[in-house]
Amino acid sequence: MGFLQNDTNNIILDAVLTDTGRQFLSRNDGSFSVVKFGTGDDEVDYGIITKYGRTVGKEKIEKNTPVFEALTNGSYAQKYRCISVSNPNLIRLPSLELTGEGIDSTARIVSIGNTTTKRRQINVSQTINNEQTIDVELRDQAFIVELSNLFLQVLGSAPDNIDSQQRATYILTRDAGENSLGGSRLTLTLATKAITESQFQVYGAQYNKNLISTFVKVAGIQSGAVYEFEVQINKTS
Amino acid sequence: MATFKEFAASDIKTAKSFLNQLVDVINEDISGSNTRKQYQVFVTGGIGPGVTSSLFQTVFDQDFTLQTANPIFDVTFGFSSASVLVANSGFTIDSNGKYIFSSQSLMMREKMDLYRLHAQALLGDASEEFNLTSGSTTSTIREALFLDFKRLFTRDQIKRETFAIKLNPSAALTGSYNLNRVGAATTKIYSDIGSSENKDFSFGGQVSTIVDSANTALPVGLLFIDKGIAVLDISRSFDQTTFLSGTIRGMHSTGFVGFSGSLAKFLVSASVDDVLDHICSTRFSGSAATAITFQNITNINSTIYFCNLAADEFNYSSNPTFVDADSRIVVIDEGQEETQKSFVFLTSIGLYDANDNLLAVAKTSRPILKDDERNLTLKTRLDF
Repeated sequence: MGFLQNDTNNIILDAVLTDTGRQFLSRNDGSFSVVKFGTGDDEVDYGIITKYGRTVGKEKIEKNTPVFEALTNGSYAQKYRCISVSNPNLIRLPSLELTGEGIDSTARIVSIGNTTTKRRQINVSQTINNEQTIDVELRDQAFIVELSNLFLQVLGSAPDNIDSQQRATYILTRDAGENSLGGSRLTLTLATKAITESQFQVYGAQYNKNLISTFVKVAGIQSGAVYEFEVQINKTS
Repeated sequence: MATFKEFAASDIKTAKSFLNQLVDVINEDISGSNTRKQYQVFVTGGIGPGVTSSLFQTVFDQDFTLQTANPIFDVTFGFSSASVLVANSGFTIDSNGKYIFSSQSLMMREKMDLYRLHAQALLGDASEEFNLTSGSTTSTIREALFLDFKRLFTRDQIKRETFAIKLNPSAALTGSYNLNRVGAATTKIYSDIGSSENKDFSFGGQVSTIVDSANTALPVGLLFIDKGIAVLDISRSFDQTTFLSGTIRGMHSTGFVGFSGSLAKFLVSASVDDVLDHICSTRFSGSAATAITFQNITNINSTIYFCNLAADEFNYSSNPTFVDADSRIVVIDEGQEETQKSFVFLTSIGLYDANDNLLAVAKTSRPILKDDERNLTLKTRLDF
């Protein structure tokens, strides 16, 4: 006979408000309303399991992984969320891939201009290797797109929220069709905002003040898959 | 299937708790001129350069010119209009009700106004007086030293029976010009001992009686624990017989006049700054020992979110290292797919609103294993 060690079932954590949380609280209009939770594992390198095996690898992750402090910037506080899937026998998970105009997919860079090529239509699509189809539960019905509200916008959509760091969040519904794997697709048009000369002087790259680099994050709501890419805004093109 | 799980109504609870912090004010912060800030807003005209003075001074926890300095308390003093010091100063009252004093006194109206200001805030009536009670005996504080502690240190309340102040009742007993010399070695400790059993209330909230800790039947002041203000009776807290001498600011061609006499006479003749300089620099020796101590209370209102992770939930991850280039989950060994199940290590809990905005985040102290053989309840506490 043995006793179950139950101490890990009573873990108390102190939460800190993110800047968005504080912003909503300050509105005093009921917009601060926690309705759900997600879990994250941003610090964990699962490659350790590949190197050391499940038994030793688990111990190494548990004992050797430093957990960072909670970040108050909501864009970076929980980048990679854990996923619930009812199928316990999944071997592969889908990821997101990017296609469309002005894309260097190897370097994950989208080029866009501030004069003639102010718009880029891009496609985000779910993909999976060595599988015939993507598990139905992992097919995204909507995507969360985060980008800098100073420089970029998604044409035809209004941001659901703009935080104090000027990160705009859009929640966009998937396209009607599916790809050959049954995965979801999202087509969106990125467009530059009216960027002034002085903004190029401040935010432009040190080596080239005609070029602003900013980052866009796309996350599938159901799959949790995240794709981040750089957008380079060229003042002269 | 999702990356989020919604809370049921029963998963969210509210709780209230209290946090106590011990506050120590050391002697040299009170006695030092760099840690005690003056605000010279009172100016006279007349003979010589005139007199400038503060109406109160602020004690800081370090050199107040530094940005990191925190104000601990304001200190000032005042008289009731019924004080014998006012009566003996030979005043008249003009048709507007303004007190006019003899030339031997200084800032008398301001000193009376400071008493009235505190009476208004703490007793609800500017013309009321602070009363001390010991058993069936009641006495009145008519010359009061006010210590107004800052909210940074009192927080929501001062905890009962934790306040104590140690001071020299006397100035230096020997030698002349003792106005700025540290007092005799004999110190006294005044505290609010016994206040838990005598919980009094006034207009200014809960009030404790400060007593001589060597003789708890002798009340020497009041502590308004909600307001964070201590009111010490100068006539009971300090030795009245000590002979004081030195120079004080006055209406003279040099700006200074000689002074000799009792503490009572000094309170009348000297400016507020001179009196506060004397009390702070001579009644609190310039050491690093504790002069004032108390515990504060911070009321913490918490919302506790019970994040219930069932056995079959949150066992996969969107972490890019969770799959290899072949989209394969790396925590399941090849060839062992039928026996091994996926697992993850949790390091954070995010609280989201209905629009997927991350409102709060909590971190674990170490990665927590989550697989299909264990369910977890993570109590996530958000304090306000």
